[in-house]
Amino acid sequence: MISIHKENNSTLLLHLNLKEANLENADEFKADLITLIDGHKKNIALDMHQVEYIDSSFLGALVASLKYAISLKLDIALVGLRKDIKDLFELIRLDKVFKIHASFDDLPAN
Amino acid sequence: MNIKLKKILLVDDSEFFLKMMGRTFENNGFECWFASSAAEALLFLDKNPPPDIILSDYEMPEINGIEFRRLLIDNNKLKDIPFVFLTSATDNELMIEGLDLQAIDYVVKDTPVKVVISKINNILNTIDKQRQLTEQEIKKAAQSLNFKSIPVQSPNINGFKIDFWHRAFDDVPGGDFIDFIQVNSRFNFVVLGDVMGKKWSAWFFTFGFLSYVRSAIRFAVLNGEYSVASILQKVNSVICFDNMLKDIMSSLSLLLLDSETGQVTYAGAGDLPLLHYQATNQQITRIKSTGILLGLFESGNYNEQKISLQPHDKLFIFTDGMIDYVGEGGKKSDFDSFETDIKPYMEAGEEFEAIKTKLFMANPASQADDQSIISIYKN
Repeated sequence: MISIHKENNSTLLLHLNLKEANLENADEFKADLITLIDGHKKNIALDMHQVEYIDSSFLGALVASLKYAISLKLDIALVGLRKDIKDLFELIRLDKVFKIHASFDDLPAN
Repeated sequence: MNIKLKKILLVDDSEFFLKMMGRTFENNGFECWFASSAAEALLFLDKNPPPDIILSDYEMPEINGIEFRRLLIDNNKLKDIPFVFLTSATDNELMIEGLDLQAIDYVVKDTPVKVVISKINNILNTIDKQRQLTEQEIKKAAQSLNFKSIPVQSPNINGFKIDFWHRAFDDVPGGDFIDFIQVNSRFNFVVLGDVMGKKWSAWFFTFGFLSYVRSAIRFAVLNGEYSVASILQKVNSVICFDNMLKDIMSSLSLLLLDSETGQVTYAGAGDLPLLHYQATNQQITRIKSTGILLGLFESGNYNEQKISLQPHDKLFIFTDGMIDYVGEGGKKSDFDSFETDIKPYMEAGEEFEAIKTKLFMANPASQADDQSIISIYKN
């Protein structure tokens, strides 16, 4: 579900390989992401360009993972959100909670 | 009613056998997925929603059926998918080994395909009945707690007409909650929340959230405080300290209705914008708040705004299930479409009951989540 794209000094760049991010895969996603955060102790940049639909269970898993990262003084940035998903994030103010970038190239240099 | 096809994953290294079985299953109301090896099946299961049942050959090169079953059992996501072995072997020891691996049944390949299909249908029916019984038990237990996350009827509030509609996803109570709290003859609070998640696991947490919201409102009123933003901030602070809710987030729309002045005050936490239909110019405006989800950060940045409802204006407050659409290209969330869909009903001056029947309830097959909507109409 999650694959590692690249790792640099401060950030682990990940791909989320899901078309539909929902209740069925939310728990596994959260467990996998938290394992990656624990294992690498780095900021996360999660590429979500494959995701076409995200439900509230998955949003909950994403937000709970962010809370966990912040407790370790780390951060999660989201990359490549499709327009409808970006719109949804803006509507419910999750764009104020996650840093959102168009692509990995737009991440701040470490 | 929308009839769902039963989904079966057929795993066999013989292409001829897969085709033959597939055709017969498809003619008998199944949607078939095929894999010519255990490795291919595992790859498929990793990328797709789970099938209702797996029918797998025993004798396959590289990973045989028994090893495939073991790999599934080791995977939390896949271990509960009903599994049936299919084999040409009639080795009793092999059958016992398979059944020890929690395979539900064993089918010998010589069995006529129609008999195999009846067997699979029987298994799926038994599983479904068991699931229904368990659900009934949980529903009974929930009823005995006498906790309602959705009220039975709309309140009567002076100067306003309140209506609401709620539909639980898959008919199982979920994370949406609604409450109407009357303080006195002048002030009423309207509450709409959505605990992130679905079904029972989310429903359970609506207890916690709703209890905090009710307490915060009561304490605020006791202190003569009627600020919805300040109430949201208090609820958020308590939730951030509650260890039981530390991984659980909820959106919330909180409104205060003043029957004396006709004023509505609103604050939101990670909720969707409200839609305000103005009768004078027949326009819909979005009312956005700044607050973030409850339980996320100690400072939730909650603001408060006054909404001036003129006679015949309508205000809609709703959860994200209302803007989910299921189309041919899959599911998507689409706020703009919801706004476009509801507008003609406003312009035509339709009553809430009519909009409910014609729009909200019109297509249950497209439901992807709990759906809740409250309408506030200014008399």
